[in-house]
Amino acid sequence: MKYARTLLIMLAVSLPAIPAHAWDLSNLNVDKLTSTLSKVKDLQGVDEPAEIQIGNGVAANLLGAAPLVKDDKLQAYVNRLGWWLAQQTERPDLPWHFGVLDSDSVNAFATPGGYVFITKGLLLRMRNEAELAGTMAHEISHVLRKHHLNAIQKSAQLGLAADAASMATSNSDNAYLKDKAISAGSEILSRGLDKDDEFEADRMGVVIAARAGYDPYGLPSVLQTLDAMNPQDSSLALMFKTHPTPQARLEKLDATMTGTMDKYAEQGDGKERFMKVVGEYAKK
Amino acid sequence: MKRILVVLALALSLPLMSYAGETAKTLLSVDLKQEPFADAATVTNVPASTTVDVIKRRGGWVQVKPAGGSEGWLKMTSIKYGDAPAAKGESGWGSLLNVARSGRSGNTGVTVTTGVRGLSPEELKNAKPDPDALKKLESFPKGKSEGQSFASAGKLQSQQVEYLASASLTEKSGIGSFFNRGKK
Repeated sequence: MKYARTLLIMLAVSLPAIPAHAWDLSNLNVDKLTSTLSKVKDLQGVDEPAEIQIGNGVAANLLGAAPLVKDDKLQAYVNRLGWWLAQQTERPDLPWHFGVLDSDSVNAFATPGGYVFITKGLLLRMRNEAELAGTMAHEISHVLRKHHLNAIQKSAQLGLAADAASMATSNSDNAYLKDKAISAGSEILSRGLDKDDEFEADRMGVVIAARAGYDPYGLPSVLQTLDAMNPQDSSLALMFKTHPTPQARLEKLDATMTGTMDKYAEQGDGKERFMKVVGEYAKK
Repeated sequence: MKRILVVLALALSLPLMSYAGETAKTLLSVDLKQEPFADAATVTNVPASTTVDVIKRRGGWVQVKPAGGSEGWLKMTSIKYGDAPAAKGESGWGSLLNVARSGRSGNTGVTVTTGVRGLSPEELKNAKPDPDALKKLESFPKGKSEGQSFASAGKLQSQQVEYLASASLTEKSGIGSFFNRGKK
């Protein structure tokens, strides 16, 4: 058995065209196993419809953990802003969706295929639209660079190679793979991405905000707000577990933005509209 | 409670929650500049850990007033908000909510910690999908024309800006040279 398992993993790793009949794994359907393993490998080339499906599933799970704020005006506001930001990027045609989560936790999330969320706990600590735009542009950047999708593929491949045998006896490989990917995606939301992915999303986020006509220092300004909060505050627990410290992010941004982004600093911060919409909501 | 509501109503009816009323501390010894530029004239040198009132931010710079001193500009990264190591998290609308909920704001470190539910790592991992909420999400306004009219209404104009390459913190530009400037 141990031998068979090692073999499976070896198969998964060295997949290309091993003639299935060359092996005698008496209790396995070897043809099925081979086709299953090639599907595992196919996870590497997830196409856009599959990316959206996976993101949709992870988003549904996230919404199971934190509901949407029941305020259509506020939700419309972040969606319109989000679509304007998305038009400044290399993936303007994704079916983007944006939502404010009814949670005091201070955080923002993205899932593959164009789903972006911000908690009301974070939104209510912001001062203007440029801060919101910078934060949303950071999340949009995770989608653009497929950070979560790549992390899902990595973890799913490890997991799937190990239980390829059980898959080989299942009749619906695709559904199985999709479920695997979605649960891996939900786990990544709770575990976080690589630090470098976060730094990259920061660098891209400030540029997307500038492209959209905003003062690009909105995101650093939000990071500074987070930096000033008590790190023991339970509303920060998940954010601090899954991200580099605000201080480290600020330092990196400062180093890249100085001399390159100063010329956009005079662009608008959209404070009036932000105060009107978010202030209206905060009063409720 | 009534008084709190009056204060809250007053506060909400004014243009507020910019930076007015926020205090910060300098993280290092820095030159206070007359204008928000590195090569602007120096007003004075401000020692590390000086408490300053923050007036406004412009780009990567903040206009501040040290207690008893005159106004000037500092790089935003040279200050930290809040006047205690365990800072308050008192900015934006959240601080108003704190007042409303707890009846106090200020230096107690009270933040909105009640009702933080559903977003711990375990709860995220074990969450059951909510298809109705997803349907609701997908019903919100969407599409390029929504984005376009949002931009027009806010007088936002798109710009051509290249993505930034990652910069090493040890390079001569950026924070390294900035910190040196303060210490010379």
